[in-house]
Amino acid sequence: MATRTVVPFGPQHPVLPEPIQLRLTYEDEKVVEVTPVIGYGHRGIEKACELNEYAKNIYLCERVCGICSYQHSATVVEAMERLWPLELTPRINYLRTIWSEMARTHSHLLWLGLLADAFGFESMFMQFWRIREKVLDLLEQTTGHRVIQSVNIVGGLRRDIDEQQKRMIVGVLAQVRKESQSLIKALIHDYTVKKRTVGVGIITKEQAVSLGCVGPTLRASGISEDVRLTKYHAYGELNFEPIVESAGDCYARAAVRARELIQAIDLQLEALSKLPEGEIAVKVKGNPPANEAVMRTEAPRGELFYYAKGNGTRKLERMKIRTPTYANLPAVLVLLPGCQLADVPVNVLSIDPCISCTER
Amino acid sequence: MENLIKIDKSAIVTEGKKLLDAGGKFVTAVCNDLDAEMEVTYFFSSNRGTEMQGLRCTVAKDEEVPSLTGETLAAVLIENELQELFGLKVKGIAIDYGGNMLLAHDSPTTPMLKEKKAEPKGVEN
Repeated sequence: MATRTVVPFGPQHPVLPEPIQLRLTYEDEKVVEVTPVIGYGHRGIEKACELNEYAKNIYLCERVCGICSYQHSATVVEAMERLWPLELTPRINYLRTIWSEMARTHSHLLWLGLLADAFGFESMFMQFWRIREKVLDLLEQTTGHRVIQSVNIVGGLRRDIDEQQKRMIVGVLAQVRKESQSLIKALIHDYTVKKRTVGVGIITKEQAVSLGCVGPTLRASGISEDVRLTKYHAYGELNFEPIVESAGDCYARAAVRARELIQAIDLQLEALSKLPEGEIAVKVKGNPPANEAVMRTEAPRGELFYYAKGNGTRKLERMKIRTPTYANLPAVLVLLPGCQLADVPVNVLSIDPCISCTER
Repeated sequence: MENLIKIDKSAIVTEGKKLLDAGGKFVTAVCNDLDAEMEVTYFFSSNRGTEMQGLRCTVAKDEEVPSLTGETLAAVLIENELQELFGLKVKGIAIDYGGNMLLAHDSPTTPMLKEKKAEPKGVEN
């Protein structure tokens, strides 16, 4: 029997920009067991949400993550809006959809860059991130900030998109689409990328469901599931169908994100072309009523779940946040055993882990 | 909140299994501290993620609830979390972090429980 060695992968590791430890047990170069260890940066945000006045929770929750920050604010706001419940104008729903897809665009560009970097394709990594800058600029120009947009409020939005901005967004997105397609083509058809990802880290359909996977990690295993099918925001009025791959390997997960990047741009363009007139905020009376509500949205990494419970005061009784990486983390229990030591970074990266989200 | 069924704690696994067998997927569990007891709600999604079903039970704070990890490993992190942050006693978690998944050895225990209100002091004569 080969000698077993336990190696701590993280919490400080070049492939992990955030602290998580994977306790890997090896036999020679092969991983046979893994235990994920979290808790290095837990911030107790759920507890803080009970201590804050409800409106301040928006600004707190959008700091759960620096990448899907917009998605957190849109979800927490809508969870709280459902306590009344509030009737929003179509324009609010469309604008929230546009910014959500803009966030998905920059998140997937970030991930594709990281994937290229994991293979040592430094130039491609920089090209993806160069394109991403244009999307961050759009966010800054339309919301006022690149990372923490703070554009959502209970009952609507703080900012609108005017005609001039619409034209500017359409122009920039057309350019982003063209450049992304060309880079994706280079990445996805590359011999080395295929060699390192095809057939690696397979999650079967059954495993994906049983492990509770979400987002591109789930859809790459052949499951056509996406919270956007619930038609929240303006998704019910857009031409949307989830992107699915069937192989369940690292390559399929990359392919889903690459195709979703293009789809996100198309959804923004469609939403912009249909953007209805109307108010960007509705009146909110009183404190959140004694009620409870769940809001789920499709963040770039998958289903984001918020549960809010009001008690009639300015403070919430309870706020629960279940982030996509929290749901995808059990997948490493089947992803890593059986793989080679050299494949661990790409395997881990393939679920697009966000430890900041996990350690809310 | 729609699609919420109240169940007894002894039915958590059987009712959860029914939803999973019908093609459902475990989403998460939410715990609420109701002072004398604990309210636990398990959420499952189905029909391509478009529908949500909740199973809710209330348990006394010293009572155990069975783990769902025998049916779905997706519950492993949240059950450990509820155990640590709320002091919910979960029996038979597939991977039990022993109270140190999120909390360190010197962290405050059960930080998510509501703070006990101070008893009014008697007026001394």
